[in-house]
Amino acid sequence: MTLAEENGPERGGDDLFAAEYVLGVLPTDERQIASRRIDTETGFARLVDGWEVHLSPLAAGYPEIEPPATVKPAIDRRLFSSTTAAPAGQRAGLWSSLAFWRGLAAAAVAALAIYIAVPYLNPPAVLPQTRLVASLAADGSDVKYLAVYDAAHHEVALSHVSGERASGKDFELWMIEGKNAPVSMGVIPAGSTARIVVSPAAQQKLAQGAVLAVSLEPAGGSPTGQPTGPVVAAGDLKSI
Amino acid sequence: MTPQDITKLIVRTSMKDRAAFDLLYRQTSAKLFGVCLRVLNDRGDAEEALQEVFVKIWTKADRFAVSDLSPISWLVAIARNHAIDRIRARRKPAADIDAALDVADPAPGPEAMVVAGDESERIHHCLDELEKDRAAAVRGAYLKGESYAELAERHGVPLNTMRTWLRRSLMKLRECLER
Repeated sequence: MTLAEENGPERGGDDLFAAEYVLGVLPTDERQIASRRIDTETGFARLVDGWEVHLSPLAAGYPEIEPPATVKPAIDRRLFSSTTAAPAGQRAGLWSSLAFWRGLAAAAVAALAIYIAVPYLNPPAVLPQTRLVASLAADGSDVKYLAVYDAAHHEVALSHVSGERASGKDFELWMIEGKNAPVSMGVIPAGSTARIVVSPAAQQKLAQGAVLAVSLEPAGGSPTGQPTGPVVAAGDLKSI
Repeated sequence: MTPQDITKLIVRTSMKDRAAFDLLYRQTSAKLFGVCLRVLNDRGDAEEALQEVFVKIWTKADRFAVSDLSPISWLVAIARNHAIDRIRARRKPAADIDAALDVADPAPGPEAMVVAGDESERIHHCLDELEKDRAAAVRGAYLKGESYAELAERHGVPLNTMRTWLRRSLMKLRECLER
């Protein structure tokens, strides 16, 4: 039996492989392959996440059983016995573990960690509604951005993941809502991170989950007010 | 504890807040130990696994931000996957022990309220659309983390047949879930 026979090429065997991984039926070697792909392929990780969501209600079948009191001290020994609680050391730990993550996942985690931290420094805000995230990418383009829309601060934060602009060109960010014409949100400043302030008119549309797109434009941005170059990355905003 | 409270604890754990981590352990370790014990069928092994699970939670808490799962489901997924990896690496459990622990799925308790919403009704509804033995195989595989090899042995069919069987069930499930 081949995956193609079971699925048809258009569905791909990946979704079924993700389901088998989540269900837990795969042998060791295939579980290791799946586990590596979760770490390195955002698309596959999403399929796995989808099946975890679908099947998670079955976890109600697990009973709650109090573990023996010796377990927690053993965990603390494993994690903390060799290090003192110096904040600097802890930071290093966080960042070295961040460095381990690759590609978009790394950018996503870093950006979100910062964004999610904010409400806990202040009284809790309405977290799910006010932070939307989009992974911007397109077929045939190596340009990738991670966008996080922060409604409370009226800005879109962009993390540049990959893909360089050609010399004499700029990337411009657009918001596309339904079938309406794209609305420019401005030229994306060069650099690994950028923040773009969102106009009041655009705020509500973004909060409803518009599509963000990046096009390649002449330096300084589109001269016409509409995209003139190819769309090199796009994605829709979803709540986290 | 509401899911939101647990989300906060996970986020604070990702910021290396040990007090939050301690509280997270107090709130969730019984459920996660239940997961480890059910999959591993051995207390010593399950205790060891639970330690490793919380080490993972401490080091990977940041990843929760990019998951679509509810906080409890995310924690359960870590514990389940870890326990399953562990049992795969171990020798095959004796069939009689397996059968002895093959109890019926308990009715969803208060925990189900945390884990489940509409999604819960959907998966149960979709499982009901499968033939009875196939639905039971899916539930059993999920809860106990049984491998294709173990399922094939228990159902008395060749491994490839078992795999085809279960994949068809998964495809039907997917079709129903997307309907």
